[in-house]
Amino acid sequence: MHIVVCIKQVPNTTQVKIHPETNTLIREGVESIINPFDENALEAALVLKDTLGAKVTVVTMGPPQAEAVLRESISRGADHVLLLSDRAFAGSDTWATSYALAQGIKTLGAVDLVLFGKQAIDGDTAQVGPGVGEHLGWPVITFVRKIEVEGNLLRVESVFEDGFDKIEVAMPAVLTVVKEINIPRMASLKGRMASRKAVIPPVTAAAIQARPECLGLRGSPTRVIKIFTPPKKTGGQKISGAEPATAAQAVIGKLRELQIV
Amino acid sequence: MLPLFIHAAVAQDYPDYLRDESRRTGRAEAIAFPASATEVQQALDLARQRNWPVTLQGGRTGITGGAVPEGGLILNLTRMQRVLGLRHDPDDDCFYIAVQPGLVLQELRRQLRARSFDVTGWSTAARSALARFQTAPPQFFPPDPTETTATLGGMVACNASGACTLRYGATRDYVAGLRLLTADGDTLELRRGRERAVRRQFALTTTAGRTLAGPLPAYTLPEVKNAAGYCAADDMDLIDLFIGSEGTLGVFTAIELQLLPEPAARWGLLAFFPDEAAALRFVRASRSAADVRPAALEFFDKRALNLLRREREHLAALAALPALPPAFHTAVYLEFHGAEDEVGAAVEATAVEIAASGGAAADVWLADTAHDLEKFKEFRHALPEAVNRLIDERRRRAPEVTKLGTDMAVPDAALEDVLARYHRDLAAAGLDYVIFGHIGNNHLHVNILPETPAQYRQGQELYLAWARDIVRLGGTVAAEHGIGKLKVPLLEVLLGAAGLAQLRAVKQIFDPASRLNRGNLFVPD
Repeated sequence: MHIVVCIKQVPNTTQVKIHPETNTLIREGVESIINPFDENALEAALVLKDTLGAKVTVVTMGPPQAEAVLRESISRGADHVLLLSDRAFAGSDTWATSYALAQGIKTLGAVDLVLFGKQAIDGDTAQVGPGVGEHLGWPVITFVRKIEVEGNLLRVESVFEDGFDKIEVAMPAVLTVVKEINIPRMASLKGRMASRKAVIPPVTAAAIQARPECLGLRGSPTRVIKIFTPPKKTGGQKISGAEPATAAQAVIGKLRELQIV
Repeated sequence: MLPLFIHAAVAQDYPDYLRDESRRTGRAEAIAFPASATEVQQALDLARQRNWPVTLQGGRTGITGGAVPEGGLILNLTRMQRVLGLRHDPDDDCFYIAVQPGLVLQELRRQLRARSFDVTGWSTAARSALARFQTAPPQFFPPDPTETTATLGGMVACNASGACTLRYGATRDYVAGLRLLTADGDTLELRRGRERAVRRQFALTTTAGRTLAGPLPAYTLPEVKNAAGYCAADDMDLIDLFIGSEGTLGVFTAIELQLLPEPAARWGLLAFFPDEAAALRFVRASRSAADVRPAALEFFDKRALNLLRREREHLAALAALPALPPAFHTAVYLEFHGAEDEVGAAVEATAVEIAASGGAAADVWLADTAHDLEKFKEFRHALPEAVNRLIDERRRRAPEVTKLGTDMAVPDAALEDVLARYHRDLAAAGLDYVIFGHIGNNHLHVNILPETPAQYRQGQELYLAWARDIVRLGGTVAAEHGIGKLKVPLLEVLLGAAGLAQLRAVKQIFDPASRLNRGNLFVPD
């Protein structure tokens, strides 16, 4: 079994501040980490490796320094890594990124399963995992909290707000996972020594036979028109009281007064 | 009428200030929140007029009751939290930072990382040192007590230490200058290297020209990590007399601290062993191996790990770490600081020692990023938290019981024997307990977790018996938490009646009315 995990290097948002004028992230001096949900995806792959003997390849696309998160993945137990790094990728939106990742995955030989975190904590779109599935033409199941493998079949649980679906799907498939699926392991000594020795050459757009018009700003249908902080809600009225029933009556009275009900 | 920064009705308006982390509660007539040395002086004047004792407070994070008042005035220094200036010393090429005593450690760290300070009132020299500081490699203040909301004043008063004291030493080693007010309101200025004792005689002159002089205690303190009793040695630097004096000799109003260049890499390593003997073999081996040299070397016994397993669901701190497999019996935590290559090589050397001691390289968790290292910090913090949770639960059934936490360090050679004795005595007494702590300094905390008042008394007796034996072996009764009010009987065990009398004689010279932190170190007549 060959599992590919796609990860993203993101700023540690617990340390990030927003620039008051440009509304963009101030990244200076902020630590870069593996997107936390992607750590869960990697862990899910490593658990399958431990139990079924799978091979795990970790893929990322980003500037040369994104190499750091690939080394971290090796420290935790990944077997191979692929760093997609080329100026041609710069400015890619979720569509172009999905395309590039799919092209990268196609160069990895037979792949049975591709795992993603449910979303990245910087962009929060949750689009790249499903996008890759689309580009590969494989089934996609999002928000997965449990994975079981039986032969060529995956049995997964996909959560939504007030419940979950049990789904069976044939491999190859793409899954995005939620935090609840596992607790990521720490790096191991053996892994860290392997990561210290690993040579990680950047792989270019040409090497994955990506069409230039599908990459970067040119290949991105999304345009960011404006970034802004929505105005804070003001006013409002707090209704409190010892008796919930009385408070509820007061709320209903208010809603009637406003002709909402 | 009281000045605006002094308030009466403490129990009503400021009840939290009657307590500290020891969970003991005291009483006070008034509380002062001075914002300057002048206001400290005013508060001391008032205390003199009313004949009030004065209890000094910082972050109230101490666990020996040192900041719990026993009547009189609370002098809370947390409003004095300014950074006063920076200095670069061309002789040692080090930066020095001057702070007020109420500055909190985590805030000092934040400002050092951001390299940004409020420079209001800074001298021209301090401003140009800042310009140099901003382009120099990042600097840090090494002492690392677990509780980062401690104030620098409190840290100096208690000579605080932490996990990385193994490599960097305690707070004492970073104090370069002190300004303090005596109970009489006189100012003393001390600079490391300037005021020295002549053999065991000291003489200091206040800025007003008064001389304070007398004999230093004649005792010899144990040659282990120590935070008990006034520092005393032949020809000693007199600044050391005040560091670790637990607020009994004066009120710090300014402190100058030495900084060091931040290491490029910090890695943490949590190694699990199949039994305690293997862990102890590893501790000994990693001490003698020249290529290991950890910055921290910490220990968690079987019971400590089991407590973490049991309390896991209640401890948010553990949420980011995998569950501990049942085969993990005892844990040793190491931290390595230095250049990336250096740290990598040390970790590889450690792997060899782990295997040779009976552990397995596969049973090691590694943190080589700041993000992951934070998880290990949380792991270490989780243990005292779990202990407190358990004790709170037991106190609901038996309100008289409380945790009994030992803080004793022993010489290198005695480590294994003392640990074996702890286990033996506690098993014989049938007491619940965990053992963890700074094994690199032979400084393990035994936390006895009594369920009944009878067990609590039994635990106290054991503690006292151990203290007597450990002092005979050349160890100390308080290696980092200090004496405060809770451990007063132990100081006499360490110093003997004569030694304690000599310590009290020094106190008498600086504070004849025994006003400052009355009840700390010894019970006044």
